[in-house]
Amino acid sequence: MRVLGIDTSGYANAIGVVDGERVLADFVLETRNESLSRIMLNVDSVLKENGLSIEDIEGFGVGLGPGSWTGIRIGVTVGKMLAYCTGKSIKGISTLEVLAYRARDLQKLVCAIIDAGAGETIYAAFYRFRNNEMHQENDYYVGDIPGLAGLIKEPIVLVADEAPKYRDMILDYMQSNTIEVLQSTPSGAVVALLAAAHLESGERDDTLALAPLYLKESTARAFVNKYKQRAQAAQQG
Amino acid sequence: MLVLGIETSCDETSAALVADGRTVLSNIIATQLELHRKYGGVVPEIAARRHTELIGYVINEALDVGGKTLRDVEAIAVTAKQGLVGSLLVGVAAAKTLSYVLRVPLIGVHHIEGHIFANMLSNPELPLPHVCLTVSGGHTLLVHVQDHCRYELLGGTVDDAAGEAFDKIAKFFDLGFPGGPAIDRLATQGNRKAFHFPRPLLKAKTNYFSFSGLKTAVINAFKHQLAGGEALPLEDIAASFQEAVVDVLVAKTIHAAKERRVSAVGVTGGVSANRRLREVFSEACSAEGINVYFPALSLCTDNAAMIAAAGHARLARGQADDMSLDVIPNVPLEVQHAG
Repeated sequence: MRVLGIDTSGYANAIGVVDGERVLADFVLETRNESLSRIMLNVDSVLKENGLSIEDIEGFGVGLGPGSWTGIRIGVTVGKMLAYCTGKSIKGISTLEVLAYRARDLQKLVCAIIDAGAGETIYAAFYRFRNNEMHQENDYYVGDIPGLAGLIKEPIVLVADEAPKYRDMILDYMQSNTIEVLQSTPSGAVVALLAAAHLESGERDDTLALAPLYLKESTARAFVNKYKQRAQAAQQG
Repeated sequence: MLVLGIETSCDETSAALVADGRTVLSNIIATQLELHRKYGGVVPEIAARRHTELIGYVINEALDVGGKTLRDVEAIAVTAKQGLVGSLLVGVAAAKTLSYVLRVPLIGVHHIEGHIFANMLSNPELPLPHVCLTVSGGHTLLVHVQDHCRYELLGGTVDDAAGEAFDKIAKFFDLGFPGGPAIDRLATQGNRKAFHFPRPLLKAKTNYFSFSGLKTAVINAFKHQLAGGEALPLEDIAASFQEAVVDVLVAKTIHAAKERRVSAVGVTGGVSANRRLREVFSEACSAEGINVYFPALSLCTDNAAMIAAAGHARLARGQADDMSLDVIPNVPLEVQHAG
């Protein structure tokens, strides 16, 4: 199945095309705040360079984040409208899983980390590869480095953009030298590969309902919820 | 020509089908009011998230209700200028994708130009040139509409938008959100002459508005009673405050119309749904021999039909955008559309 994958959760347009397990294109363009103005031009050039048109694409994959909230919305909106307009199916993939995919051959627990952009906060998830398939262990983690260090009980491969920086930060909080590092950034081809595997086995998302994986609520909502909890606690106390 | 319009500049996710710039086949508006009510205003991040969830459904419904399919769409118009950046980009990302796959022209529209077209969509007989007052929670703007897509910016607010003043007063007295409809309702049971609030810049021979001082004056007049827990004559306050805002809006618009020697004025935007505003405008304009036009209520607040109509007019003039179209959260109408 020929699948187009898009991830805009970081500061780049990551766009790739695969045919089943074969990568046809894997394109990463730093965009910073030009993600929206570049995205369709980049999709178009990736397709054209491979002699393809959008009608040749049989399914879509899109990186759901976590990452830049504004960034993810561009990719998710473009992905779902591509699927809607062409009538093809789509599968959303966690960007943490996309990062972890790079460590699939290392036979170790993989910890993928993405900067949550607010000081020392990070998004993280643990993955284990069994029978050539990725399995997420536990829920997503949103918090600080010491909290994440407390969750690490065995040798891991740490995958992230700036992976060595995170290893050093984690090692400040735990006595261990069993952290291997692997640099990894979002890849459109990996999004497409993972999506293709799902789509080929008939697993697809509801196109119109597809939504980003934010993992954190907006500041305003967090504030109101905190206020509510305090009010409830005061009532009970 | 069948144009699909998309509008996501603030807190309404909207898509519409408009044929030949005149006939509204569908105009779907998913409002997020309930989502923002508890915050007393629109929260940009919450709005942007909701747009992303709703955009596909709203476009799909616009096609369904209009009895058309994607293949019938001949152009895409989208609000790309003026609004919340995170909200705007959801609409523009969707519009670009549609334009790319369907291979139809794309046009980015200025939100205020959409409001100007809302009035022409509702009232095809609205003459050109005319003076248009766009008044909403985010805007208070006087524009000399010389021709389709030819504008002269006459003036606007130097501080709060009129609708913003409604929202802030409503929030202070806990009357509900959005403030405009809440005050409009309450005011019908109040005495508009109970209190005399200032009419800022009413007599000044300029086309500029200021509502910040009026808002402060109203709040200061009742601060002590409210702090002391006294019951307030909320109906009278609402009616008197509304009267002050309406007086200024009407007087300034008529002043601008006379200055530009036009015989017609249009009033658009969310606040143009206000009943007292319509009443006073009609009386004052008729006394001056000026015709006044308002959009249908469904076209007063943010909607995609007006964006489709404006986009149609721009396309008819040979204008279109390419795939590099980006959002511009804050840009004056005149700079974009002069000449």
